[in-house]
Amino acid sequence: MTDVLARRNFRSLATPECVDAVHSQLDDLWEDAPFVPDMDRMTFATAVIEAAANVVQHAEPESSDPVELGVDICIRQSSLRAKVSAFGAASPAIDDGDPAMPGEDAESGRGLALIRALVTTVTFTRQDGTNTWTLSRDPIGP
Amino acid sequence: MDLSYEVKDSYAEIKAAGRLNMVSAPKLREFVADVVASGSSRIVVNLEDTAFMDSSGLGALIGCLKAARQAGGDLRIAAVQPQVKMVLELTSMDRVLTSYATADEAFGND
Repeated sequence: MTDVLARRNFRSLATPECVDAVHSQLDDLWEDAPFVPDMDRMTFATAVIEAAANVVQHAEPESSDPVELGVDICIRQSSLRAKVSAFGAASPAIDDGDPAMPGEDAESGRGLALIRALVTTVTFTRQDGTNTWTLSRDPIGP
Repeated sequence: MDLSYEVKDSYAEIKAAGRLNMVSAPKLREFVADVVASGSSRIVVNLEDTAFMDSSGLGALIGCLKAARQAGGDLRIAAVQPQVKMVLELTSMDRVLTSYATADEAFGND
């Protein structure tokens, strides 16, 4: 396991505005990890924002407490990884198949397919009322 | 995201500056709807200063394209930056949302 070179952790009520806050954290993160090529920054940041927006839009609270969004981003020399969590969320409807892009005139439904196209692996876990999507992009290439 | 518009000879140019995401997407929809309602259905969305777009933003552009076409016009995009271009290509929406180098070129041959 190689050393963690840069890390950011974010947690807040899952509101649309917090997606902007996650974006600012990502912009800030690259200053600590200048070795990450532009192409990798662009693809990884897009996937993280899509996953965070997915939580804000679709996570349903498990109890009377509202869902919180958590984003934990970890940069190593050879990999970019983000854990995007929905705390206090009900179990989502899981579709194990590869999500397909919807038709050309659809105005939504591209997020998950886009995430899969942007990162190397996407895994989902559910533990103690928390849904977590782990996105990894590796290796970092020019 | 900052939105502004200017009516030119044959089209209305809408400048969108900032991030086109789930926060700003509804604002863009509303802004374009108002421009179309005011009588301009040939729309160019200038994305020169839009450094980031997610699938919510893309959905808003598609909705705006439909609104412009329903009013008898069209919506085209100009000055697309690398991240926006990537999202358009990965979703194959570059075939639907025609991109031009500049706003002037978008309706240049019509």
